[in-house]
Amino acid sequence: MSKPSDLVQGTLDLLLLKILALQPLNGLAISERLKQISGDVLQVSDGSLYPALHKLEQQGWIASEWKLSENNRRAKFYSLTRLGRRHLEKEAGNWNRLSAAISHVIKLKEA
Amino acid sequence: MRLEHWLYTILLRLRSLFQRNRVERELGEELQYHFQRKIEENLARGMSREKATRAARRDFGGFEQSKEECRDMRRVNWLQDAMQDLRYAARTLARNPAFALIAIVTLALGIGANTAIFSVVHATLLEPLPYPHPEQLVELRQTESAPGEYPLTGEDYLDWRSQNSTFSDMSLYSWPIVVNASGADAPEAVSEIATQANFFQLLGVSPQIGRPFAVGEDRKGADRVVVLSDAFWKTHFGGRADALGKTLELNSNPYTIIGVVPAWFRDPGDADLWVPLDMSLQNIGRRGNHNWRGIGRIKSGVTLEQARADLRTIAERLEKQFPDSNRNVDAVVIPMHEWLVGGFREQLWIMFGAVGLVLLIACANVANLLLARSTSRRREIAVRVALGAGKARLLRQLLTESLLLALVGGFIGVIVAYTSVSLLRGVLTDVLPQPNPLRVGWVPVLFTFLICVAAGVLFGLAPALQSSSVESSDALKSKGSAHSGASRHGTWLRNTLVASEIALSLALLTSASLLLRTFENLRNTNLGIQPDHVLTAAVKLPGVRYKTPDQSWEFYNQLLQKLAASPGVRAVALTSKLPLRGGMNGYILIPGKQTEEQTGPLVESSYISLGYFRAMGIPLLAGRDFTRADLEDTAKVQQEMTSAKSRAEADAINKKYALPSVINETMANAFWPGEEPIGKIFQHGHTFRIIGVVGDANQGNVRGAVMPEAYYGMPMLLDTPGWTFNVVARSSGAPESLMDAVRAAVASLDKSLALFHVRTMPQVIAETMTTTQYETVLLLSMAALALLLAAVGTYGVMSYVVGQRTNEIGIRMALGARPKQILAMAVRQAFLLVAVGIVVGWAGAAGGAKAMQTMLFHVPPFDPATYASVSAVLALVALAACWIPVRRAMRVDPMVALRDE
Repeated sequence: MSKPSDLVQGTLDLLLLKILALQPLNGLAISERLKQISGDVLQVSDGSLYPALHKLEQQGWIASEWKLSENNRRAKFYSLTRLGRRHLEKEAGNWNRLSAAISHVIKLKEA
Repeated sequence: MRLEHWLYTILLRLRSLFQRNRVERELGEELQYHFQRKIEENLARGMSREKATRAARRDFGGFEQSKEECRDMRRVNWLQDAMQDLRYAARTLARNPAFALIAIVTLALGIGANTAIFSVVHATLLEPLPYPHPEQLVELRQTESAPGEYPLTGEDYLDWRSQNSTFSDMSLYSWPIVVNASGADAPEAVSEIATQANFFQLLGVSPQIGRPFAVGEDRKGADRVVVLSDAFWKTHFGGRADALGKTLELNSNPYTIIGVVPAWFRDPGDADLWVPLDMSLQNIGRRGNHNWRGIGRIKSGVTLEQARADLRTIAERLEKQFPDSNRNVDAVVIPMHEWLVGGFREQLWIMFGAVGLVLLIACANVANLLLARSTSRRREIAVRVALGAGKARLLRQLLTESLLLALVGGFIGVIVAYTSVSLLRGVLTDVLPQPNPLRVGWVPVLFTFLICVAAGVLFGLAPALQSSSVESSDALKSKGSAHSGASRHGTWLRNTLVASEIALSLALLTSASLLLRTFENLRNTNLGIQPDHVLTAAVKLPGVRYKTPDQSWEFYNQLLQKLAASPGVRAVALTSKLPLRGGMNGYILIPGKQTEEQTGPLVESSYISLGYFRAMGIPLLAGRDFTRADLEDTAKVQQEMTSAKSRAEADAINKKYALPSVINETMANAFWPGEEPIGKIFQHGHTFRIIGVVGDANQGNVRGAVMPEAYYGMPMLLDTPGWTFNVVARSSGAPESLMDAVRAAVASLDKSLALFHVRTMPQVIAETMTTTQYETVLLLSMAALALLLAAVGTYGVMSYVVGQRTNEIGIRMALGARPKQILAMAVRQAFLLVAVGIVVGWAGAAGGAKAMQTMLFHVPPFDPATYASVSAVLALVALAACWIPVRRAMRVDPMVALRDE
């Protein structure tokens, strides 16, 4: 199945929100941006990207709109909503605390 | 989630739901865009179109799966799926009408019976009384030196009412009594309750028209006013408001109609009409005379315990103050609802349990039908699995089908319940206290809905689980017969279901049979009388016109003479009380055994005319019956006592005479064991000498023990005006034939008198057993339903099993097996099922019997004969249900059976 098994559960949402916080994008562009920023570390198949987007839209964090893409074709563009921005701030804070705590633990010297 | 957010997502979901096509189209477009652009990129990199497409597809992963996941994310899928499943389920059921019909009828009966009985349980036990703050209402009772609880004495009540600090009010009222109401037509006997003036206000009942009693209307000599019941108002005054102010003649006294209570008003204190109770001490009586019912309303914020403690303190004080009359007289405070329905709780829950078992059997039946069908649907299911249906999704679809069945069954069940409740209403009104009207309200309907869902899941889950675990490759290959491994589990499940149906029916049948035996035992109990050919009717002489004992005595003597001369009358007499109808009792004093200070034993007392024992068929065991001279002496002494000027003079008269009394065998054995009772003296108000001993006649109810009883001459009661006496007439033919003669005799003496309670003695006896009778009928009909369902279930399963083995039977027959052997083979298999069912059923039956032990009479709960006969009946029915399909299978031409393979 197309579950993003390599991704820590929930981080895909966070990444998508962050990407969309920079600018509204369509699905294909999001996929490319994802590959571009995370390199080969985070692999998300295209098939699992869309369910994640639809979920975020249903939760009200992002909104969608049909617009013309750069090559003049109709594409669905996603953008962050006001609710989504607030959510992102909260989640980013959580993430920072969690990752700081984990890296702190990892760095502990073995006795 | 914040409100703003919540509203936003709701809108999004509604959009997904209602603009389904558009959302779907957009989803396709969105993914297609992505896909096409990928292909274009690949082409641009110089791949061939074929290669480019394949690479894009590989990158994307499953296209359709992705779509489905997107739909899932929209979270409204389940609703769309449910609608789809529902449509599909309806189509499937419609394609198989025989199956659907049997399942739905089975469920409708099971659910309908449950709803009906639950409606009764709800109206009687669960719903609060229909009065404001019903939890504050209590019934007031008293204890005595003798065990048990008693009605209130008027004088104690007045002290309780004035001295308590925990009640907002108390009210005194009478038992319903029968009075002569004369309107324009023939006199009529109606039931009347006398209440203290505050009765309706205390309950919180306002009349639908007119007013309740006013303060002071319960004083002696106040204006005579009457409040009517809704039914009486409608039948006698056509429900017209101008009834107010009209006059009704009760026992020859005119009463002004002042109000009509609402139609729903019933317990406590149900009657045709209510009049104010004369609250003078002279009327309500001194301490020691337990004659009245009392209700109280506890102050808000005061607990039942506090109210109890308060009244007990007062009762203790009264005990110290009046040691003669109030020894061991304590206060009893019972919540009104408990007082009204407490005695029926156990029976009702037992009925509810029984009807629940019927529903379980119905569920088992439908589960079996579904199981049998699921085997033939294995290929359909396998195709679905092969096409990618998940197990959960499949389960949901199958459960939708069973829920649809359950809901349709439940809908018809509610209709069944409506009909049965209107039937029950007619029947149960006399048996059950119904503080609330008995109807299928929204609570029972909601209950039905819940049991439908529970039943749907219950009978649908096992077959659905089994179906959805089909191995698709297996099922697709096989032709859907029972040979493959997956159905071994199914066979086990089916067998378990059949065995449990048999076990449940056995439990129900056993309980019903035990009750039936109880009812028979009650009917066959020797009551000490010969009830056949006896007609009884009650007469009451209004005190206004029959003021002196002489006038009454003369009337009764003339009545007896007229009746004795009527054709067809073999014996006739009068009595103050009939066997099994309860009556008066009092403490007696036996000189030499108790001193004046001690409380003597409690005995029942009856006041009778000449010839009562002969008319009722009570045998004289020793001594002699009353003679005319005995009764005339009694009348004479009674007169002397009435005209006595002082207590001392009355005592002197009392010492001078010993009045004749006949006692029953129990009294003779209890107080003079091994002695000759004839000639012995005892005191009961007067001094009595025993002149004879008669056989025991049951006074209370058939189940109760016979109490010591003394019979006195009826003139003793004539100084109390308005006492009710019962005519007892023994006929040579059918007792009903005397009805006209009795009516004519009474009318010829006094046209304004109404006869009431005109019944044959067997009817009087039957009335004391109505509760048991209805319990028996109800439980028997449930058991019959259970037996029918179990038989249908067993038959269904056996036909299925035999059907699966038709070709095997064909082969065996072709190879020369004799029909007997085949039959034995099938019966062996069935017998095992039945035997397991019966043994498990015994355990269930024993549990049921234990629960209903108090309802039984002279039948041990583990009566071996009952258990054995019920098991035999059940085994026969079950084996017959097996035999029919086996015989059918054996008739099949072996060639046909073989070709079937």
